[in-house]
Amino acid sequence: MEFETTKQENAIVIKVTGRMDAVTAPEFENACSPHVEAREKLLVADLSNLEYISSAGLRSILSTAKKMKANSGEIRFCNLNGMVQEVFSISGFSSMFTICETLEEALK
Amino acid sequence: MIKNTGLAAKLIILILTSTTVIFIATFSYNYLSYRNIILKELEDTIANLALATVFKIETVLRAAEKVPLTMRTCMQNHPHSAEDINRLLKSTIQDNPDIFGSAIAFAPYAFDPQKRYYAPYCYRRTGAPTVTMLGSESYHYFDLDWYQIPRELDRPIWTEPYFDEGGGNIIMSTFSVPFYRGHQNEDIIEGIITADISLLWLQEIVSSVKIYSRGYAFLISRNGKVVTHPKKQLIMQESIFSIAEDRSDESLRTLGRKMIHGESGFTTMTDFFTDTKSWLYYAPVSSTGWSLAVIVPEDDLLHGLRKLTNKVFIIGMLGFILLVLLITFISDTITKPLGTLADKTVEIARGNLDVTLPTPKHNDEIGHLTNSFAEMRSALKEYIADLAETTAAKERIESELKIAHTIQMSFLPKRFPPFPEKDEFDIFATLQPAKEVGGDLYDFFLLDDHHLFFCVGDVSDKGVPAALFMAVTKTLLKGLADVAMQPSEILEKVNAELSIDNDSMMFVTLFCGILNIKTGELTYSNAGHNPPVVIRRGSSPDWLSLPRGLVLGAMEDSAYSTNKIVLAENDMLLVYTDGVTEAMNGEKKLYSSERLLKTVEKQPFKTTEELVHMVMHSVNSFSGEEPQTDDITILAIQRKS
Repeated sequence: MEFETTKQENAIVIKVTGRMDAVTAPEFENACSPHVEAREKLLVADLSNLEYISSAGLRSILSTAKKMKANSGEIRFCNLNGMVQEVFSISGFSSMFTICETLEEALK
Repeated sequence: MIKNTGLAAKLIILILTSTTVIFIATFSYNYLSYRNIILKELEDTIANLALATVFKIETVLRAAEKVPLTMRTCMQNHPHSAEDINRLLKSTIQDNPDIFGSAIAFAPYAFDPQKRYYAPYCYRRTGAPTVTMLGSESYHYFDLDWYQIPRELDRPIWTEPYFDEGGGNIIMSTFSVPFYRGHQNEDIIEGIITADISLLWLQEIVSSVKIYSRGYAFLISRNGKVVTHPKKQLIMQESIFSIAEDRSDESLRTLGRKMIHGESGFTTMTDFFTDTKSWLYYAPVSSTGWSLAVIVPEDDLLHGLRKLTNKVFIIGMLGFILLVLLITFISDTITKPLGTLADKTVEIARGNLDVTLPTPKHNDEIGHLTNSFAEMRSALKEYIADLAETTAAKERIESELKIAHTIQMSFLPKRFPPFPEKDEFDIFATLQPAKEVGGDLYDFFLLDDHHLFFCVGDVSDKGVPAALFMAVTKTLLKGLADVAMQPSEILEKVNAELSIDNDSMMFVTLFCGILNIKTGELTYSNAGHNPPVVIRRGSSPDWLSLPRGLVLGAMEDSAYSTNKIVLAENDMLLVYTDGVTEAMNGEKKLYSSERLLKTVEKQPFKTTEELVHMVMHSVNSFSGEEPQTDDITILAIQRKS
């Protein structure tokens, strides 16, 4: 899995490319943790290039989200493609997190 | 030694080769330098010797010349009669033992206009001097060398030496002096005065020349004739040119030419007498035109140097042998511990880590190596011990995992049919774990006579933590499920319990339902789980419409809702985990929910068991050789009459 992190005006944007399964899920957590520790208020995960997400991937998202929340921060997701959209929807993550169509929307 | 050949031989070859080169270079330089010094000294020595000898010869010759010269004075200053001349001759012979004979040979008609020949000759015959007259029609002395040459040259000359056979076989030479009679300041040669002089003394002088052990001298005449030589046969018999001719020795001929031309010089040649390479100095005897050569064989000359050279060579060889022994010893002390170490390495490589290493004697490189080696061995030992421990631990964990798997699988109801007395429904389920211990679960039990609770869940992980989480979930479900509760309420309670202190952020997706087996009414709720498939008679299989609901354990206060449908007789419900839809094949393609729906629609099945096996078979054949990454759980339920 590859991560491309950019610092925006009010948020950190992490663009995720690849597959987030049991093997690679910890990489996402590791990629996010510096920003969590830096007490960033808004983390936006751009999932446009995320091909697949397993329950382990959901777990690392959940873990990161909880840590953000503990620092009164927030994690948002944007550009979810078909499969990922479906998993988010089935798992109820769609109702739990802020899911946006576009990056611009997520940064508002 | 044999095992050390490599290093030791290399050292020996390298050092000895360079030593040999240095030795030979020094040796050669030394030899050549000394040789040059010796030759230079020789040149000086034999030049001095030759010149001294020549001087001696010249001195004697000058003395011998005085007698005829005195006779000439006598002849030129006083008028003389035949008797006067005879008296002069006789007295001269008597007074000078070195003079063998003397003649006063007049030019034709010079003594007596009547006489063409007039040449009284006085010589020793058995002691008393006797006078005889030379010259006759058969003896034209005017044509002979001793007469003609001094007359032509108008000066005294020494004739070529010759053997006087009549006078006792001795070498003689004749000194001829022209004498004159004045005519108004014009000198006319009146005749020639001769003195035959023995050259015995000459041989003595020349043969007394000794230099080194075999050095000698010889004398040649103006024509190259050998006058004195240690080899007596050559004297007066051979000339330097005839010898050169016999031996076809061009250099000797050249030397002879230089000698008779009155040159002097230092040269090397193969001596015709000793037949060895020799050094030679030649110098002229200027009064007679003779030439003296002093010869030294090179062997004599360099004898000392050669002896010294041999000694140096022997010393060098001894040093060489000593060096070989020394290097062998040194390389042995270096390579022996290395060899021992190498042997020990082989043993260690074979796995014998307890082999005793040699104790280093010195704190040198070998010592360091041995110490490092010992450290390496202990590190290796430690590592192997660690590895053995880890392996043991791993084996223990694996066996524990196996036990955990057995325990986990024992949680799941596996006896089918589970309720043989109930013919209102049919249920079948299976779980195919990805690892030894999986995170999927399914369960079903009767809440009362008419209500069947069933659920399928998937913990967001695998292995022991997932299994534990699954066990907790299953226990909670079993404990909390009640006929009086809606499925959503059950989920809310379970979620609340799971969410408390869920630091590991593990969660579980779960579908649960309560089937009224009498009426076919099915109430169900969902916590982030995949939608089940409803299979009704007379219509295509379809997804069960699910209420929204977050996974269990994610958020403490999640709310869930309950949906309701009625299952007609023989209607079926297929519940599964994402291990089915997300099963992957070699091309990294997912099995997908579409394929699941199509499979259920197309493939034949009659019972729940057949349906479950059919789907499992479909998934497994889709994945092929690709390893299973997630647990696969399939549960099917059918309402019967």
